[in-house]
Amino acid sequence: MDYLTVLGFGPKGWGLALLAGMAITLVVSLAALIIGSAVGSLVAWAKLSKNLAANIAGDAYTTIFRGVPELLIIYLFYFGGSAVVSGIAHMFGLEGFYDIPPFAAGALAVGLISGSYQGEVYRGAYIAIAKGELEAATAVGMNRGLKFRRIIVPQVLRFAIPGLGNTWQLTLKDSALVSVTGLVDLMRESAMAAGSTHRYMTFYLAAGALYLLLTSVSGYLFNAAEVRATRGLRRSN
Amino acid sequence: MSSNFGPDMTETIALDIKNIRKTFGTLEVLKGISLKANEGDVISILGASGSGKSTFLRCINLLETPDSGEVTVSGNTIKMRKNRKGQNEPADMKQVEHIRSELGMVFQGFNLWSHLTILENLIEAPVHVQKRPRAEVIPEAEAMLEKVGIADKRNFYPSHLSGGQQQRAAIARALCMRPKVMLFDEPTSALDPELVGEVLRVMRSLAEEGRTMLVVTHEMGFARDVSNRVMFLHKGLVECEGPPAELFGNPKSERFRQFISGH
Amino acid sequence: MDFNFLSSTFIRLMGALPLTLELWALAVFFGAFLALGLTWMRARKGRILPGLSRFYVFIFRGTPLLVQLFLIYYGLGSIKEVQQSFLWPFLREPFYCAVLALAMNTAAYASEIFRGALAAVPFGQVEAGIACGMSRLTVFRRIIFPIALRQALPAYSTEIILMTKATALASLVTLFEVTGVAQKIKNDTYRALEVYLVAGLIYLVLNFIIARAIAALEHYLSPHLRAIPASKRIPDPADVL
Repeated sequence: MDYLTVLGFGPKGWGLALLAGMAITLVVSLAALIIGSAVGSLVAWAKLSKNLAANIAGDAYTTIFRGVPELLIIYLFYFGGSAVVSGIAHMFGLEGFYDIPPFAAGALAVGLISGSYQGEVYRGAYIAIAKGELEAATAVGMNRGLKFRRIIVPQVLRFAIPGLGNTWQLTLKDSALVSVTGLVDLMRESAMAAGSTHRYMTFYLAAGALYLLLTSVSGYLFNAAEVRATRGLRRSN
Repeated sequence: MSSNFGPDMTETIALDIKNIRKTFGTLEVLKGISLKANEGDVISILGASGSGKSTFLRCINLLETPDSGEVTVSGNTIKMRKNRKGQNEPADMKQVEHIRSELGMVFQGFNLWSHLTILENLIEAPVHVQKRPRAEVIPEAEAMLEKVGIADKRNFYPSHLSGGQQQRAAIARALCMRPKVMLFDEPTSALDPELVGEVLRVMRSLAEEGRTMLVVTHEMGFARDVSNRVMFLHKGLVECEGPPAELFGNPKSERFRQFISGH
Repeated sequence: MDFNFLSSTFIRLMGALPLTLELWALAVFFGAFLALGLTWMRARKGRILPGLSRFYVFIFRGTPLLVQLFLIYYGLGSIKEVQQSFLWPFLREPFYCAVLALAMNTAAYASEIFRGALAAVPFGQVEAGIACGMSRLTVFRRIIFPIALRQALPAYSTEIILMTKATALASLVTLFEVTGVAQKIKNDTYRALEVYLVAGLIYLVLNFIIARAIAALEHYLSPHLRAIPASKRIPDPADVL
């Protein structure tokens, strides 16, 4: 069987399966990114706050989720979480192994990891907002809610785009590890294809190429977004 | 200050530069500049920005490579050749490195090495380029620090010193090389006005010692009172040159007259 | 809280720490040299060498480490020519495959860090060295390299700490470093939460120690970035009188 057939979309081809896997990878990564942005905003707020307990909590969060291997965190959420669920089921007399849906465990794990990086991005972006703009908003009579919505959020997003672009690429690559839970993403599909056809080189190269496609298109899009968002901003460089 | 005892005393000619030309892209910055400096000469090089004065100075120690012309330091002419693309290049890098070690350069931006203490800055080139023993260089370096007035800063880092102190350290660094000629590229232009004086004082004392100095500067006071020759460049050519009393007192060039009235 | 289980798990996991450290140290070591080579290539004139370097960085930063690891271990391992070559004794061993994958991965990130550090060396200080008559090699050795090294340390330290986390992937190619042993214990005892928490703690402490060590090195190397030490400060006459 030649390469075209085995990678193609015919009955013996894995092309469709790989693309399906790629779709799952994208969805998991997006879910993780969204979870991460919610968590990241909280973490940024905690670190910027004047409350010492909040500072410590924020620092602890970042330290833990940046200091422990991603693989271990995924194991913790999937196997650990499933063990908890199974334990609860056993308490009710049910037998067997109950697991947390791999998608949920994976998205949550990668999302919390992403949250620690996004926290740093938002924190840096907030600090970069010229204090003068915030003072002007107060002087004009904006209340806190209005200031947040109309001044802070748009500006933070503007400064955060480069950092977010980086974090997104990290999240995409981390999502490959979710395959250890059995989730059929791009990594798992290519592993299955490689194992069943014994064409390891072919399918891992195909996986690499597809991941490369995802990261480079993302990079291009984020660059374009940054250019658009910073038009009108005078850069020091 | 200059001595010309006879027609053939080439040893007293510290620097002999002939017809330097230099083009950057399409712009001809130096259109043929020559200069002869005897030992002990203190020559101020003046000119508007874009006149080529810094480029000229940098062609002397080959930080810029002239397109044509000849540089001779203490009788030693830098050998040049044409490379494959027809551009001028030094034929013998070892000769260039040796000649550079005999020329001391002081930069507008001081350029002290940030990872070394002041003392280490001073002994770096004498030890690693001139291969002199540390035991010999260190006392000399300390003496130079005394001379420029920052002996107490020997173990400090450049980032801990003011601009004026850094420039004086840079001068001391050049002095430690025992240079035959000192090249100053706008040494006070980057300094706050109140710090300019301390650097000019050091330069004046060097001139009074009889050192051979080429100084690209905007400081008219120095040019008039300390140097024994002034050279005014305009658009890549020597517009006028001579003793300061003559040039400042009775300027024959209209352009030079305009220049000094503006400064 | 089953302290017996926790402590026996801890001891078993600590027994796997040397393998983690070995993987980490070798990956960082070889990766640094590879990175220097990539940075050198990137700085050449012309199009081929810099182009190759940029391509390498693009590939290794744009794909997951897991893909790179499987490509080397399973992919290369399935090629007949490789199996018959002199490299086979190395490429059949998961340990060497893991070190290779980790090293090649970190080299891509490290070379970008080195490149940035070199670019940050103030050119004026380089010119000052040239003006003194230093040869190109001497300028590199005495001026460029020391300054670039200090520039690179903060970012590079982050990178080598990331490498400790990357070693966990070696467990997916049958190596029994800390994460691998943790999986084994979990499979034997089904006590996932406790095992993973202990393992996580070990990584946290390891990273803390490494971060502290590098911070000490940075401190030692940058007296020029700190304030003047109090002992050397000349007392203000107003204070003394």
